Amino acid sequence: MKKRSIWAVSLIVMTIILSLAGCSQQDEKETAATKDDKKVFTFSWSGDIGDLNPHSYFPNEFFSQAMVYESLVYYGEDGEIKPWLAKSWDVSEDGKEYIFHLRDDVKFSDGSAFNAAIVKKNFDTVLANREQHDWLELINQISTTEVIDNYTFKLTLHNAYYPTLQELTYVRPLRFVAESAFPASRDTFKDGLTAPIGTGPWVLKEHKENEYAIFESNDNYWGEKPKVDEVVVKVITDGESRVLAFEKGELDMIFGNGVISQDSFKFLKESGKYETKISEPTATRTLLFNTNRETMSDKNIRVALQHAFDKDAVIDNIFYGIENKADTLFPQNLAYTNVEVDPYEYDVEKAKALLDEAGWKTVEGKEFREKDGQPLQLELLFISTDNIQKSIAEFVQGDLRKIGVDVKLTSQESNTFWTTAFDGNYDILFTATWAVPFDPHSYLASITTDSSGGGPDYYALSGLSFKKELDTRIKQVLLTTTEEDRIKQYHQILTMLHEEAVYLPISYQSNIAVYKKNIMGVDFLPQEVEIPTTTIDMKN
Amino acid sequence: MIRFIYKRLLGAIPSIFGLSIITFLLIQLIPGNPVLTYLRVSNIQASEEIVQALRVEMGLDQPLITQYLQWLTNVLHFDFGTSFISKRSVLDEMVLHFLPTLQLTTVAFLLIIVCSIPLGVTSALHKGKWFDRLTQLFAFSSVSLPTFWLGFLLIYFFSVQLDLLPVLGKGSVVHFVLPATTLAIGYIGTYLRLIRASTIEVLEEPFVLYAQARGLKERTIVWRHILKKAASPTLTGLGMSFGNMLGGTIIVENIFAWPGMGQLLVESIVNQDYPMIQACVLLLGIVFFLTNLIVDILCGWLDPRIRLAGDRIK
Repeated sequence: MKKRSIWAVSLIVMTIILSLAGCSQQDEKETAATKDDKKVFTFSWSGDIGDLNPHSYFPNEFFSQAMVYESLVYYGEDGEIKPWLAKSWDVSEDGKEYIFHLRDDVKFSDGSAFNAAIVKKNFDTVLANREQHDWLELINQISTTEVIDNYTFKLTLHNAYYPTLQELTYVRPLRFVAESAFPASRDTFKDGLTAPIGTGPWVLKEHKENEYAIFESNDNYWGEKPKVDEVVVKVITDGESRVLAFEKGELDMIFGNGVISQDSFKFLKESGKYETKISEPTATRTLLFNTNRETMSDKNIRVALQHAFDKDAVIDNIFYGIENKADTLFPQNLAYTNVEVDPYEYDVEKAKALLDEAGWKTVEGKEFREKDGQPLQLELLFISTDNIQKSIAEFVQGDLRKIGVDVKLTSQESNTFWTTAFDGNYDILFTATWAVPFDPHSYLASITTDSSGGGPDYYALSGLSFKKELDTRIKQVLLTTTEEDRIKQYHQILTMLHEEAVYLPISYQSNIAVYKKNIMGVDFLPQEVEIPTTTIDMKN
Repeated sequence: MIRFIYKRLLGAIPSIFGLSIITFLLIQLIPGNPVLTYLRVSNIQASEEIVQALRVEMGLDQPLITQYLQWLTNVLHFDFGTSFISKRSVLDEMVLHFLPTLQLTTVAFLLIIVCSIPLGVTSALHKGKWFDRLTQLFAFSSVSLPTFWLGFLLIYFFSVQLDLLPVLGKGSVVHFVLPATTLAIGYIGTYLRLIRASTIEVLEEPFVLYAQARGLKERTIVWRHILKKAASPTLTGLGMSFGNMLGGTIIVENIFAWPGMGQLLVESIVNQDYPMIQACVLLLGIVFFLTNLIVDILCGWLDPRIRLAGDRIK
């Protein structure tokens, strides 16, 4: 009897396992069969695709909005503005009137026509909720919208706001939904859409919230049609799970910034089984110095810190070369950011000399420098869940100890981190620029608005003697009318920021792509948030 | 029995009411400002005007007591409000996340029962023998394995290497295997030891000897008499575990991309989504209360003495 019960238990367990394994094989065969007749491309995202409403924000994701909706103009390589739904445009002499000549061959995915009337209607619903989009300066600058004729649309501004075209390329909120997508109230922001109908290359076919979304190629698309028939986006929150799903073959590609750990990327790359790619720099990972703190208000100290930090070590040991070393606040490949400045090279002796000059002297028998009996201690704030920030912070701590600076590491959960950052309770802060198409003009504009309006940078920089002048210059550059003038002014602003050493740029962030060898056409798009779904093709 | 249930239901109302007040006060302690958090996750740069407009829209400009009473009135009308972050109906989001968790928990729970009872009883009967030693080893290692590590290990072997099971997502029956196993294994270890211990205790009781003297088959003695007696202490524990699992297991959900309650709750706490936190805690309170009630009823059914005692007190 005793023996029999053991066998009974083992038998039950075995039966369960085998029956389940049997099911799985059946399941696999089914998916394989459907994949044969259609090209289905699968990748993952960390959250749901959202509501697919181009006039709204979270939980909408940029990439999914960009798959379905399009803008009047497109942000091309090196920031060049290209025709898109508008085939050309005229700008008045005073820079206040924009006349867009729309393409006449564009249809929405429901077959309805795209024309000046629907453009105006979309602009007007966005403008009706002006305060919700207040962050976008163009919205504040728009005075009127007009239909000139069926395919001509006119935008009138209050001022000659030069980034108008650039801001029209943004993924939200100035993209277009069809007439039939409007809710009865006409208010797309408050009441949402009746259906996600845009002019883009993709149409939402199936959506299971928090699990997956399937997009199919838009038959009515005016431009070059996508190479694959369907794109499946699976929701996977965890980076390691994403890697395993990819290795198992459930995903064709891993794409994005920070979607998997640097170690996983290195592991997949070195396995030789997959293709990997790294995009051009998109944004800058940087440290920000708080000039309001007494120690940090001294330029010598800020420059000393720049020289004391061994960036190459961080690039080699944390990023394995995936992110490149940054010497300027913005990557040089953006519009107006190609400024020649002398980078602060790693030079410990120079750093020490600068600290001596600033009055912070080494004391016999003590590890850290002192001035008037006060030890030189700086507080570095970072987000507790961000492993990269944590590792870099430890490098900074180690490097600065070598020149006699005590760095206190403070980690906070992200909401608390931002509150502390806005309140200015730190000496050194981790931050990043906003990536194209927001860099450089939107990021710089945020420096000029006080803490609730911009970034933590406003407060951090307010200890500088020339802060007022800097703000005025930034505001001026946004209203410049000639290219020449703009280049000159950006040059001055960026040089000023570099010379004052208020930012310590660490690395340029990039998108990464890891994909199977049968995938082709993975070309990064200029906007960081866009995924090259239309150029991707696959061999069976 | 009906009277007993009725009394327990009435008794739960003040506790759940108290729970909602405590949650309401505690969430005020989360540092930061929900308006700014919403703006940040939406990638919107905040301005004074928009912050003010949102404060009014979210009802945060009202005094705390008004906010609470407003919330309570709405809840009594089954209106849980809209999420601060996603701007969707809280009830819809909650149902959307609760169902997958309920499915996963039920499967894991069945797995716990199906594995821990036979294993526990059998190892008690074979106390000190190799089978007992083996289950003991399993119990200790399963309890000490970190869930995330076990999850990845299972995925690595069964999905990536052996190609038997899918890595993630939900859909067919097979999708349940790995997450449910990961979730259940720690509990199986605990409960098999618990069942083993109480079975050994019961084995020494005189009624077992009498049953043997009466010439009952050993199978009948073990599975009908001993198990019935040994089960009640385990049941109470199982009830609590069921509630715990329904509260969501963020780690398992994250690893297997399972859209459940744990993710919703943790995300809403991080994002200071007050209406969502309130509703989730309320739901979990009710779930705990109901599972406890069911456990009490089951215990009474297994051991009539408990039922009698309860009736006498009134």
